[in-house]
Amino acid sequence: MDAIVLENVTKSYDAVTAVNAVSLKVRSGAVLGLLGPNGAGKTTTIRMIMNILVPDSGSIRVLGEVVTDTTRDKIGYLPEERGLYPRMKVLEIIVFLAALHGLTQAEARRRAKAWLDRLGLSEWSDKKLIDLSKGMQQKVQFITSVIHRPPVVILDEPFSGLDPVNAATIQEIMLEMRSQGSTIVLSTHRMEQVERLCDAICLIDKGRNVLDGELRAIKQSYGKNTLHIEFTGGDGFLNHPGIGQITRLISGVEAKLKPGTESQEILKAAVLSDAHITRFELLEPSLSEIFIDRTTRA
Amino acid sequence: MRKILLIIKREYLTRVRTKGFIIGTIIVPLIGLGSVLLIVFLVGHTATQSLRIVIVDNSGQLAPAIVHGLDGKLADGQPQFTVEQIVSRPASLDDLQQDLRTRINGEKLDAYLLIPPDLDQPFELHMRNPDNFGLVGPLSGAVDQAVISSRLDRRGVHFNDIQTVLKSAELKLLKVSEAGESVEKGQGIAVAIALVVLLYTALLMYGIITMRSVIEEKTTRTMEVLISSVRPFELLAGKILGVAAVAFTQFAIWMTSTALLFSFGVLASLGMTRNSPLAGVHVPISLVLYACVFFVGGYFMYASMFAAIGSACSNEQDAQQLQWLAMAPLVFCMIIYGVILNDPTSRTAVILSEIPFFAPVLMSLRISLQTPPAWQIALSLTLLVLTTVAVMYASAKIYRVGVLMYGKRPSLVELVRWLRYT
Repeated sequence: MDAIVLENVTKSYDAVTAVNAVSLKVRSGAVLGLLGPNGAGKTTTIRMIMNILVPDSGSIRVLGEVVTDTTRDKIGYLPEERGLYPRMKVLEIIVFLAALHGLTQAEARRRAKAWLDRLGLSEWSDKKLIDLSKGMQQKVQFITSVIHRPPVVILDEPFSGLDPVNAATIQEIMLEMRSQGSTIVLSTHRMEQVERLCDAICLIDKGRNVLDGELRAIKQSYGKNTLHIEFTGGDGFLNHPGIGQITRLISGVEAKLKPGTESQEILKAAVLSDAHITRFELLEPSLSEIFIDRTTRA
Repeated sequence: MRKILLIIKREYLTRVRTKGFIIGTIIVPLIGLGSVLLIVFLVGHTATQSLRIVIVDNSGQLAPAIVHGLDGKLADGQPQFTVEQIVSRPASLDDLQQDLRTRINGEKLDAYLLIPPDLDQPFELHMRNPDNFGLVGPLSGAVDQAVISSRLDRRGVHFNDIQTVLKSAELKLLKVSEAGESVEKGQGIAVAIALVVLLYTALLMYGIITMRSVIEEKTTRTMEVLISSVRPFELLAGKILGVAAVAFTQFAIWMTSTALLFSFGVLASLGMTRNSPLAGVHVPISLVLYACVFFVGGYFMYASMFAAIGSACSNEQDAQQLQWLAMAPLVFCMIIYGVILNDPTSRTAVILSEIPFFAPVLMSLRISLQTPPAWQIALSLTLLVLTTVAVMYASAKIYRVGVLMYGKRPSLVELVRWLRYT
C-alpha cells in the first residue's frame, strides 16, 4: 500500500514549469528523502501534496484518496518557511493549531503540555513566541506539525537551524514515529541524514523526477565503482588508464573506476608499483556522489 | 465552519487583548472626556467672585441705568458685578483716576467705567486685563442698553415698547416625510454629517486593520501553516468576521459608556440639558437600521478588498501604495458628500448613491436627509449586496494566490491575472 501517490503532476507559474510530469510513490510506513538542488521544485511538490497549490495536470492521492480538508488533518506539515504568530503564547498557539486539526481544546492542551515537556520547553509555555530563541521556535513548530498524530508527516528541512543535540532529539522522534507506522517525507539537503534516516529517496531536478526508489536498490544499481585506497610510497599506479576521477583524502585516495575496468587490474598495478598498500576497498558511491552525478548531467 | 469559528475566536481574542485595543477603546475616549470636563470646569470656575467696579459718571444721569443692566448672577447665586461706588461728576477727574488706578493695581478693584459727559462720546473701561471677556461682555451690553434707552427716552419712547416692536418673528421649520411631519431645528444636518464621518472612519479603520492582519500573517510566515489546514476562503472569512467582532465590541463599549454617562448625569452637568442644541437631536430608528445594513454590506466589501491587497503585499510599505485602490472610493465620498447635502434629490446624488462603492456612505446620507423612494434604496442595496459578493469572490481568489507570493509587489495587471488562476 502506498501512502502518497503522484501521477504525472505538472505545475507551471506563467512561463516557468516548476514541476514537470512528476510521478512518485511513497510506501506506507517508509521514510522518503525528497532531494534536489535549490529551486528544483521540492517545495512546490510538497505544497501540491498539501493541497495548498493545485496541480495544472496529473493527480495526487494521499492515503488512497484525493486530498480534501479532512484528509489534510491526517497530514502533519512542517514548512520550510517557518513562522508562527510571534505575539501569541507558546501553549496557546500549539492548542490553536491542534484545534484546527480537529483536536478538542482539552486534548490539545494535554498533548501540548506533554510535548513541551519532552522537548524541554515546559517553562516557556506561557512566554510569547517572539521571546524564544530560533531553535526553540523551531521545536514549537515541530510540535504543531505532529501533535495530531498524523499518519503522514511532511517535514521540509526539519534540522536547519537546530544544534546537534536538538537535531538528534527530532531525529529520534522521527524514527519513533516510523516504528509506529507513520509515513514520513523528509526534504533536505543533508545527505548524511538521508543515508541514516531514509528508506527511499526521490531526487528532483529542474522540476523532473530524475531518480527515485529504495535507497539500497539505487546504491546497488550504481554498482561498486569507487576504490578507497590507503598506501605509502609512490602514487604512480594511479595513472592507470582505468582510473577516472581521483579525490585525495588525508589517509589516501578515492578513485573512480572507468566503466569496464575491473578493480583487480588496479590492485595488480598497485602491487607491482613501489607503493605499499595498507587498505584496498571497493565501495558503493555515496549519496552525495549520486546527487552530484545526477544533477550535473547535461 | 468549525475552523472559521476557531479563526474568528483567535483573531478576536488576540486583538481585544492588545494594549492598542485597550488604549483605543477606553483610554483615548477617557482622555477626550477628561479634557472636555477640564475645559468645562475651567470655564465654569474662572469667575467665582463678583467683579468689583466703580462707575465714574460724567453725564450725571446714566449710571443707575447701567447698574440696572448689570444683573447677571454667578453659578452660586451671587451677583456677577458689585458696584462699589458711583461717582457722579467728580470735582477732580485726574485725582480720582489716579486713585482708582492704584486700587486696580493693588487688586482691590477690578475695573472702573468712565461715562463721558456727552453720551455720543466714547465710554472708557479701565482694567488690568482688557481680554477678560467675562467682564467686558456684560458691561458692554449694559452700557449699550442704557445709552439706547436714554436716547429713546429723550424722544419720548419707552425702551420696553421698542423691545416688543423689534422682537424677531419666529420661523418654525417642519420636515415633511412619509412618516408625517416633525419639527426640524437644524440638527438633521448635524446628524447627517456625523453619520458620514462615522461610516467613513469605521469602514476605513476596520478595513486597514484587516489588511494589516493579513500582512502580519505573511511577514511572520504563519500563513503557510495556516493554509495547510484551513482553506484560504475560510481564513479570509474568519479574519473579516473576527475584526467585525472587535469593531462590534468597541462600539458596544462606547455606546454603553455613553449611556451610563448620561444616566449618571455627567453629561447633563456639561450643559447637555433640554436647552442645549444636542438635546433636540432625534435619530430615527429606521435611519439607524438602514445605516447598519449599508455599513455591514460596505464593511464586507471593503474589508475583503483590503484583505486582498494585504495578501498581495509582502510588507506594509508595499501595502501603503496599493491600499489606495480601496481607499479612493471612500475618500471620494468625503469629497462629494457636500453636493448631496445641498440637494439630496439631484440626479448626481441619486446616481452616486446607487453606485455600490459609494452606497454605504452616500445612500445612508440621503436616507438621513430625506428618505429617498423605496425603489432607490432597494436598488442600491441589491447592487451593494451583489457587488459585495463579487468583490469577496475576487478577493478570495487574489488572496489565495497572494498569500504564498513573496517578493516584488505585484502590478495591477498581475492582480488581474491572479483572478484567472485556478
